[in-house]
Amino acid sequence: MMKFIRTLLKPFAAFFEAHAKTHYRLERHSMGLTVGIIIAAGVGGFIEIAPLFTIDDTVEAAPDMRLYTPLEQAGRDIYIREGCYACHSQMIRTLRDEVERYGPYSLAVESQYDHPMLWGSKRTGPDLARLGEKYSDDWHVRHLVNPRDLVPESVMPQYAFLLEAGLDTDSLPDRLAALRAVGVPYTDEMIANADSDALGQAMPDTERSDGVFERYGDETAVRNFDDRPGRLTEMDALVAYLQILGQLTDLPEQTQILPEE
Amino acid sequence: MMSNLTRAERANAMVIAGTGAFIGLVMAAAGRGDPMGAHGWIVLAFCGALFFVVGSAYEDPEPTQDRTASYYDDPTKVGILIALFWAVVGMGMGVWVASQLAWPDLRFDAAWSSFGRIRPVHTSGVIFGFGGNALIATSFHIMQRTCRARMPDQVTPWFVLLGFNLFCIVASSGYLMGVTQSKEYAEPEWYADLWLVVVWVVYFVLYIRTLARRNEPHIYVANWYYLAFILVVAVLHIVNNLAVPASLTGAKSYSAFAGVQDAMTQWWYGHNAVAFFLTSGFLGMLYYFLPKRAERPIYSYRLSILSFWGITFFYIWAGSHHLHYTALPHWVQTLGMTFSVMLLVPSWASAGNALMTLNGAWHKVRDDATLRFMMVAAVFYGLSTFEGSFMAIRPVNGLSHYTDWTVGHVHAGAMGWVALISFGSIYALAPVLWRRETIYSWKAVEWHFWLALAGTVIYVFAMWNSGITQGLMWRTYTESGTLAYSFTDTLVAMHPYYVARTFGGLLFLIGACIGAWNVVMTIRRMPSETPERDYPTSSESREPALPAAE
Amino acid sequence: MSVKDRDPLTGHQTTGHEWNGITELNTRVPRAVWFFVIVTHVWALVVWVLMPAWPLVTTYTKGLLGTDQREEVQESIAVANAIRDDWSSLIADLPVDEIRADPALMAPVNDTAHALFGDNCAGCHGSDAAGGPGFPSLVDDAWLWGGDADTIMETLRVGINATHPETRYAQMLAFGEQGILPRDDIRTVVDYVQSLSGTGAPADRIAAGAEIYATNCASCHGEDGTGMAEIGAPNLRDDFWIYGGGDEAMFETIWGGRQGWMPAWEDRLTVADRKILTIYLQDRAKETAQ
Ligand code: HEC
Ligand code: HEC
Ligand code: HEC
Ligand code: HEM
Ligand code: HEM
Ligand SMILES: [Ca+2]
Ligand SMILES: [Ca+2]
Ligand SMILES: [Cu+2]
Repeated sequence: MMKFIRTLLKPFAAFFEAHAKTHYRLERHSMGLTVGIIIAAGVGGFIEIAPLFTIDDTVEAAPDMRLYTPLEQAGRDIYIREGCYACHSQMIRTLRDEVERYGPYSLAVESQYDHPMLWGSKRTGPDLARLGEKYSDDWHVRHLVNPRDLVPESVMPQYAFLLEAGLDTDSLPDRLAALRAVGVPYTDEMIANADSDALGQAMPDTERSDGVFERYGDETAVRNFDDRPGRLTEMDALVAYLQILGQLTDLPEQTQILPEE
Repeated sequence: MMSNLTRAERANAMVIAGTGAFIGLVMAAAGRGDPMGAHGWIVLAFCGALFFVVGSAYEDPEPTQDRTASYYDDPTKVGILIALFWAVVGMGMGVWVASQLAWPDLRFDAAWSSFGRIRPVHTSGVIFGFGGNALIATSFHIMQRTCRARMPDQVTPWFVLLGFNLFCIVASSGYLMGVTQSKEYAEPEWYADLWLVVVWVVYFVLYIRTLARRNEPHIYVANWYYLAFILVVAVLHIVNNLAVPASLTGAKSYSAFAGVQDAMTQWWYGHNAVAFFLTSGFLGMLYYFLPKRAERPIYSYRLSILSFWGITFFYIWAGSHHLHYTALPHWVQTLGMTFSVMLLVPSWASAGNALMTLNGAWHKVRDDATLRFMMVAAVFYGLSTFEGSFMAIRPVNGLSHYTDWTVGHVHAGAMGWVALISFGSIYALAPVLWRRETIYSWKAVEWHFWLALAGTVIYVFAMWNSGITQGLMWRTYTESGTLAYSFTDTLVAMHPYYVARTFGGLLFLIGACIGAWNVVMTIRRMPSETPERDYPTSSESREPALPAAE
Repeated sequence: MSVKDRDPLTGHQTTGHEWNGITELNTRVPRAVWFFVIVTHVWALVVWVLMPAWPLVTTYTKGLLGTDQREEVQESIAVANAIRDDWSSLIADLPVDEIRADPALMAPVNDTAHALFGDNCAGCHGSDAAGGPGFPSLVDDAWLWGGDADTIMETLRVGINATHPETRYAQMLAFGEQGILPRDDIRTVVDYVQSLSGTGAPADRIAAGAEIYATNCASCHGEDGTGMAEIGAPNLRDDFWIYGGGDEAMFETIWGGRQGWMPAWEDRLTVADRKILTIYLQDRAKETAQ
């Protein structure tokens, strides 16, 4: 047995001897080391990342996939700003208990337009990938104002200031344009009307809101999300975003076996 | 300090600081009404202060003594002090972050103090502020000593150190204002990212130039690791931070990649930030201070080669273990899992190499808390890499991912390895650096050691318990085959562990404060002493210190 | 390597270099290291052969086992569905009374309800289902739409004021905001409504309030104030309040109106799930009533 192992070891040992010898020479040249390190550390990243762009079935095809409206995108930016991703994942893994608790496992296509993705790495709070339309707008507003009013056990911070903070809509055309630059297919019209559309989505039955339906589809949720008439707040934007989570495409529900009880 | 700079160097420094201040002014003006404007003021204040400090000493007499007769240690001294400052700030933030999870109302009624905003102040504060400064400072020290060469000039080390700290300040103040790209450990926005690229390139050039001036034929292992740290972090940083700003006058940007490609890029970065920032760089530190303090030769040069190249090559592949069972294709996960396990061997080889180096010096480990810091750091390094490789196995990760188990693993590595090796090195370094007879209080070092060890153990055990409890509760089924616990049930179960973790963190923080105090007192109170042999052979003569080998 | 020293302690040779006092031994790599190198590499090779692993340009190696995480989880859910089908299809099909009568069916009901309620309903109705401001208690045996199983099932299916196309609509008019009633009248009717559940107030105000009530409110809440389950108008005679029975809360209700939103669960929860919750709520309500 020992002998067998030793034979097995031989090629390794030989390789290593050669390597050690080369190394002994290499370590006298700083640029040699530099090149060596870059090559050794370059291989893995290249082999794991580059094919994600070339292998077709990496991202599924979802013809019904829709874009974030400017208001939802603004909400997403606030979600990032407040660091919600530090506690909430948006990635239901392919594990039975996750699918049974949160819903169909997440598909790559669902975050196709997410620059950056918000899959998260810690679940101090529950996963939010399928949160959209699970609660009422009013619930979200009250929960964000003080989570412990609704869930006494919660350790989530209060975000009451979002109700007072007016949403900055001026920067929205620029934001959408930057997103188009990295590959989100916003049209010129969408970019030009981004600030008006953000207002319109929180003002049902106005001319502005008609524009939202026109550009983003009839299914778009047009509501006064924070229930404060006449003012577009950061709360409107964040709740609009939370209500769209998991609602961008029906592909997961259509293609997966779902738990039955 | 200023007296070691020539007039020309002072002039250069003023030009750089002046340019920085001008950039700050432009940012402040262009970014009005945006957090970028606030950052502009911060940059202006930082660079303006430097300009003023250098300018007010501009006319002072120039250095007279022969520079080649000594190493250039001023930036190292400042770097060590800044590292200790960040240790207290970063870990203080850690304790606050931890207590918010135990008592969520323990905060101010203002946006900046919410968990999501202060958490990255903690992570960046300890990793970049504390760890980064410790790495930069020790690398300056070590590269000069192991090359027997002085740094090639006196302005670039300051540029690297202070430029890096400007990055840290912009980063942390940004988080409090809500400026973040959300990419873990790469949160700062595009202009801070660009600035770090500049700093890092200068750092690399400085390192290479010093190596080029060396009077030793061979480059010592510590320098391999520092070099890998500098190079790979540069590559990771640039690729993961590719982004398009929404406007050149605002902070917000959108990352170049989206969805699954973005996730893979992020964790390729995130994992290798662990590998090349929190591991490679600190192994460089270990490789210098441990044998020096133990006065023993490194156990095996061959093992060093094996572990260095193993770590450099295998680590890069392992990033996808952060994405098991996600929408990342299965094949990438398989690669991440297998390479993580293969990675264990070189990792343990380096931990083993360090511990075997102590053979013949174990009595010193017993008596000398400084060496004990390093020894325990090596043990925790071994422990956390074992744990990491274990957690990288898909079914294990299925349980551990998203839970506090990860956080426990992180802190076994971060507190047990990164912080302990840094503190040990700082205690070993301080008397040498400031030319003091010894550390101010050895008793305080003992106290620090035991507080740090107790804090780490309490923290890590609390998180193992909470992580595994939560992971198991999430997947507990009733006899009917349905989920047994709601999410809130698991949340309630976490509370005692969160309290315990806060307590452990507090012990660790107290230790760090004692350490900072002890170093300051060493500088202020201890009699000075001239070291026997701590000077470079003339770099210009390029004369080897020992006859060339072979 | 010419200038080699020996380490007196171990007898090993050094590499002959010295860096500021640090030397290295040239000890060979311990066998154990090679052993583990081999073990981990062989293991990795086996995994690569069996599992999807290596990328090719437009595809990747699928592995001999042909596994894929998605198929695996789908399979495990299909299996779980099949096992649970023993009781879940019965629960879905049978009337509530028959389920209650069968301990074998009540076991899964009791097992399942806790987490199901906790993850979906507790956010609004509280973990003890006792409600809170704006969210009705589900254990007080006072039902807006009726407490029989079919009604509760329907409420869960379509929600109230929700996005479901068949949702139940419940609308408490905004008498103040819409200028139907002046401030004073609202104060007066508040006094009257409070008197229905036994709070005292001056007799003349009650009389005036009763008049306002009869013209404005009775159409929905009934002449006697016992409510109207068909439109979800609550009983105002009992002492259960969704939004609060105090002066300010009730003024707020009548001034600004109310339109509680209860989500529809048809797409999120199965019939069996909803029936389990129904049974659970009815049982909780009965417990509390005792
Ligand atoms: C300190 C960690 C923490 C942070 C930060 C945090 N949350 Fe939470 N969140 C929780 C916890 C814990 C829960 C579960 C208890 C509860 O519902 O409040 C929760 C629950 C939620 C829920 C309900 C999910 C469900 O399905 O029941 C939503 C929605 C939510 N959070 C949104 C947010 C948003 C938006 C932000 C940022 C603005 C945020 N959270 C920040 C911890 C956090
Ligand atoms: C977004 C918050 C919210 C969630 C989540 C929610 N409910 Fe409700 N529910 C309400 C509100 C609000 C009402 C009262 C509607 C009204 O006032 O007209 C209500 C009413 C009800 C009613 C009718 C009570 C009656 O008196 O007729 C039942 C039954 C009910 N909920 C059960 C549930 C169950 C079971 C769940 C979980 C599957 C659930 N609810 C989840 C908000 C919610
Ligand atoms: C169009 C029908 C309608 C009319 C008219 C109406 N109500 Fe209501 N009322 C409702 C409904 C439906 C609700 C439940 C709303 C909800 O919970 O979302 C309600 C709720 C209430 C409540 C809150 C009960 C609680 O539990 O907190 C009060 C109080 C009330 N109504 C009083 C009045 C008074 C007084 C008037 C007349 C001035 C009036 N209502 C007229 C339909 C009506
Ligand atoms: C005083 C000691 C410390 C305390 C109390 C502390 C506390 C915390 C807390 C509460 C978190 C957040 C965990 C969560 O989100 O659930 C955290 C995260 C983190 N800390 Fe610390 N910490 C301490 C020391 C350190 C040190 C010394 C380092 C590094 C050198 C470090 C690195 C990190 C990292 C990398 C994370 C992010 C972990 C993740 O995202 O998984 N911490 N810490
Ligand atoms: C062989 C070496 C190691 C391996 C294979 C490894 C593996 C892992 C794994 C599997 C995770 C969990 C990922 C997840 O489920 O989200 C993780 C997280 C982490 N590890 Fe390690 N680890 C190693 C060493 C270390 C060391 C030495 C440190 C620190 C000093 C460290 C710091 C971290 C951090 C900070 C995270 C959290 C990342 C996040 O934010 O989610 N690791 N590691
Ligand atoms: Ca994390
Ligand atoms: Ca960044
Ligand atoms: Cu990792």
